[in-house]
Amino acid sequence: MDLKDKLISSFMAFESNVDIENSVHDVRTEAMKNFELKGFPTKKEEAWKYTSLKGLQKIDFSIFPKEENALEYKDVKKYFLHEIDSYKIVFIDGIYSSYLSETTHDGVDICLMSSALTKPMYKPVIDVYFNKVASKDESLTSLNTAFSREGAYIYIPKNKMPKKPVEIIHFATGNEASLLLQPRNLIVVEENAELQVIERHQSLTSNEVLTNSVTEIFAADSAIVDYYKIQNDSESASFIDNTYIDQKNKSVVKVHTFSFGGKLTRNNLNFYQNGEYIDSTMKGVTIIGNKQHVDHHTLVHHIEPNCESHQDYKGIYGENSTGVFNGKIIVDKIAQKTNAFQQNNNVLVSDKATINSKPQLEIFADDVKCSHGCTIGQLDEDALFYMQSRGIPKKEARALLMYAFANNVLASVRIPELKTRINKIIAKKLGVNLGFDL
Amino acid sequence: MLKIKNLHASVEGKEILKGINLEVKAGEVHAIMGPNGSGKSTLSAVIAGKEEFEVTEGSVELEGEDLEEVSPEERAHKGVFLSFQYPIEIPGVSVTNFIKTAINESRKARGLEDMPANEMLKLIREKSEMLDIDRKFMSRSLNEGFSGGEKKRNEIFQMAMLEPKLAILDETDSGLDIDALRIVSNGVNKLKSKDNAVIVITHYQRLLEYIVPDFVHVLHNGKIVKSGGKELAVELEEKGYDWLKNEAVV
Amino acid sequence: MAYTEEELKKELETKEYEYGFYTDIESDTLPVGLNEDIVIAISKKKEEPEWMTLWRLEAFKYWKEMEEPEWANVNYKKPDFQAISYYSAPNSKPKYESLDEVDPELLETFKKLGISVDEQKKLAGVAVDIVMDSVSVATTFKKTLAEKGIIFCSISEAIKEHPELVKKYIGSVVPKRDNFYAALNSAVFSDGSFCYIPKGVKCPMELSTYFRINQAGTGQFERTLVIADEGSYVSYLEGCTAPSRDENQLHAAVVELIALDDAEIKYSTVQNWFPGDKEGKGGVFNFVTKRGICEKNAKISWTQVETGSAVTWKYPSCILKGDNSIGEFYSIAVTNNYQQADTGTKMVHLGKNTRSTIISKGISAGKSQNSYRGLVQVNSRAENARNFSQCDSLLMGNECGAHTFPYIEAKNKTAQIEHEATTSKIGEDQIFYCNQRGIDTEKAIALIVNGFSKEVLNKLPMEFAVEAQKLLEISLEGSVG
Repeated sequence: MDLKDKLISSFMAFESNVDIENSVHDVRTEAMKNFELKGFPTKKEEAWKYTSLKGLQKIDFSIFPKEENALEYKDVKKYFLHEIDSYKIVFIDGIYSSYLSETTHDGVDICLMSSALTKPMYKPVIDVYFNKVASKDESLTSLNTAFSREGAYIYIPKNKMPKKPVEIIHFATGNEASLLLQPRNLIVVEENAELQVIERHQSLTSNEVLTNSVTEIFAADSAIVDYYKIQNDSESASFIDNTYIDQKNKSVVKVHTFSFGGKLTRNNLNFYQNGEYIDSTMKGVTIIGNKQHVDHHTLVHHIEPNCESHQDYKGIYGENSTGVFNGKIIVDKIAQKTNAFQQNNNVLVSDKATINSKPQLEIFADDVKCSHGCTIGQLDEDALFYMQSRGIPKKEARALLMYAFANNVLASVRIPELKTRINKIIAKKLGVNLGFDL
Repeated sequence: MLKIKNLHASVEGKEILKGINLEVKAGEVHAIMGPNGSGKSTLSAVIAGKEEFEVTEGSVELEGEDLEEVSPEERAHKGVFLSFQYPIEIPGVSVTNFIKTAINESRKARGLEDMPANEMLKLIREKSEMLDIDRKFMSRSLNEGFSGGEKKRNEIFQMAMLEPKLAILDETDSGLDIDALRIVSNGVNKLKSKDNAVIVITHYQRLLEYIVPDFVHVLHNGKIVKSGGKELAVELEEKGYDWLKNEAVV
Repeated sequence: MAYTEEELKKELETKEYEYGFYTDIESDTLPVGLNEDIVIAISKKKEEPEWMTLWRLEAFKYWKEMEEPEWANVNYKKPDFQAISYYSAPNSKPKYESLDEVDPELLETFKKLGISVDEQKKLAGVAVDIVMDSVSVATTFKKTLAEKGIIFCSISEAIKEHPELVKKYIGSVVPKRDNFYAALNSAVFSDGSFCYIPKGVKCPMELSTYFRINQAGTGQFERTLVIADEGSYVSYLEGCTAPSRDENQLHAAVVELIALDDAEIKYSTVQNWFPGDKEGKGGVFNFVTKRGICEKNAKISWTQVETGSAVTWKYPSCILKGDNSIGEFYSIAVTNNYQQADTGTKMVHLGKNTRSTIISKGISAGKSQNSYRGLVQVNSRAENARNFSQCDSLLMGNECGAHTFPYIEAKNKTAQIEHEATTSKIGEDQIFYCNQRGIDTEKAIALIVNGFSKEVLNKLPMEFAVEAQKLLEISLEGSVG
């Protein structure tokens, strides 16, 4: 039985297993219909031209993880941003781990999607926001919606800001030979409120894991959201991320995506600017090698006037790796005075690496400033030579240049400890000891 | 030549000029000074006919003709020239092509044929030499990537080519080093005659050492609060504008 | 007071297609519809050898299995391929030795178009192979060219006179089954131009062909084949203008360029077919496949000024097969009213040290949609490939759209690719600055648009550049020009 059929037949069992809250039940059933109709995307579809899911569909994934698996904090501490205090929402093989987590209801709600979907007190929020910005058309998002049950639920009321950042971490233990995870997150940041989130997916074995995640973020007027995605998973783990962001007037949302690990990673990052004077920023650093594949698909839909968007994606591709960048900017007719900028710079460091870049502009308003730039090239040989002539070994010189190349993207990280952590990962990725604390 | 009577002008409903009276005769040089936001640039834009500014009261007359219904290009054809404080970039259009178009459009408006190419080239050579402008400069895109000094010199070059009756120099000294300032002022002085007039708008007295005004007016809060001879400029330099602001209140 | 954008818009709307008239020449037309018999009939009428007939039939077989492409960013009512007549030839036969023998009405048409053949001959030193509908009726300067061994004739003639060249190269760059329209063209192409420049010869003049569409309900399926042998050079000009019509006219041309070692081909197009009226009624459907292949050290340069057609679908491309070969694409696409253009290029880097440059300028006005679609592909063996792309869009008014769809694929670490795109409008401050210097708004817009397009206009041969500038003004400025 192929994966699609397996999912379809599992759906009934799933639905009878979860506590059915009727409105959500309808949403799931609708979503399942769409997935049934469309199935997994294929390379024939423009949006999946450069990324094939064929291999993954051959794997016999377990769809329902069994009971909670225990992990000791000391064994997984290194995956947390342990240098600082944070709220934690931790899942092991898709099951919430109360032991590793630290949630709160103190003025803000930082807790579980499973509670939010079932408890009446959350119903008003769920009714207004759940599955409202996520695509009802895209098949993998529908697949997630159909099986939506668990994930992070964050609600920040007006003028509030949680005392510390929130870490959402998913561990896979390898208790299953191959595991399909479908976390579903809902994040609502009300007027003038602020939130910082760090999201990480970590497989602890070499067993196959496929995560198909959907995150909905709603930023109300003047809300500020910083979202950091750390993708440094093992090379047997694949990850499809679907993030949908709805922004209202004067809100500022920044999403940073750091892609270093994983077998196949696909990031679908969608911004919808439903207001004026909005600022949307997406930044990414991708450093991969071996047979890794990272595909960034961004969309910024400028719906109202006077908004800005900034995109800056840097990629370094080694060995047999493949990178994809597909950035789409749509400016509606009434979205005058839009400023939309997009940069995608890539360095290929191996003969067998590939990069496919497709920056797109679709402009329907005339009084706008839109630009995109894309480069594919190598490290500056002159700079390399210059550094060598000053006594810096070639390897270190290369690392330094690559670090400099990616640096822009790190400058906007607002949690210093996180910045340091990412720097360390980059140094490790580049295989050198830079000899100084970045 | 230019007669401004009780001129009130506003932009987006906000009144900037609140009753300006000024008369400039042929052969005269007038300096208009004043602190930032006093309305200096608005005055020059209104004289040039920028549509963003609405004249709510009063009038601007050039040689006895009310300019209210006259479009910016027609004003230019009648001899009004504005040296922009921030000259505009037009990518892909060379300095030569631009000035050629401007001259021939003005000639057309006066019922003249296009200027013959050799005459045009001669004129360009003559005027660019006067302003110490490199020939290569002529084929560059208009104002694109020009330094501040190059932009201003280019403005004066266009003025020299178009030979206006009334030239308004809006902050032409800003962004100029001392050498460029001297070249630009020399150019303006050479163009001065008994038949034309110059209005110099500036924040500092520096430029007025080179282009010596017959009259100095101080603009504050949309009104001319004091007028005098060139010595007024020196006085302003020493005392600043504050004493005048107080005077205006009285 | 000054000329406002509103007024300009109104003027653009009322601006009628200047070359919209119709020449009444009797045509020899086949019945409408398409089947094997029609394909055979076309081949027969043209007295083609059997291999050509079979070639056409094979293409027809492929075409039947293919579907009309949907991916382009254009919307239009699909043509009914069974309602088109696939062949029409001006009736006045036989062919002429001199222009004096040509149908006077035809000459009158050329005069109206301002492309009077003899004037062109005198003024520009251009040999003009005029395609009236589908069969070429006048070829000039043939003698001068013949002295250098240059072959410049209609493709039908080439099939008969130079079968070895045609057989070798036709379909070698654009295979019969390349795409829906290329397959259709391969099956039913009516006529077109053929050009062969022998080894080491620099063609002494710009070769030019004026295409026109004339017969009501007649599709035009041009086939052009240009072969530049080793070390040769040719500059080829193609310009189009068509009479005004109510129903849509289909044009599906195929152009193949072959630049052998060290050869250079410069192919320039000014396209000004009927774009439809201001309600978007009528107009030409222009679905063109243009592609060139570069062998070692060869260079192909495409320059196009696209102002006409209701729907354009066109991607002049370069296959940079040989080491050190160069591909260039310079394009201005202007759309107004309800026009839709989806145009761009493909640069496929296969050889080492290959270089490509793409400069695309899109200008959208009215309710039009203007898209750039391009592919830069660096294959794994293409060491040191370089590409620079610049795509700029200028929007006029708030009812049009500008779109950019670049595809960049690199499989070699030594590749250096730079792509930049910008979208902007004509600034009010720019207009005021021009006004202040005595230049009225309409002239100012013409000046700014020309400045915007300059990098491409500069690439056109002189006589074409003037015409192209005029076309830009006609297409956008209304009363100017």
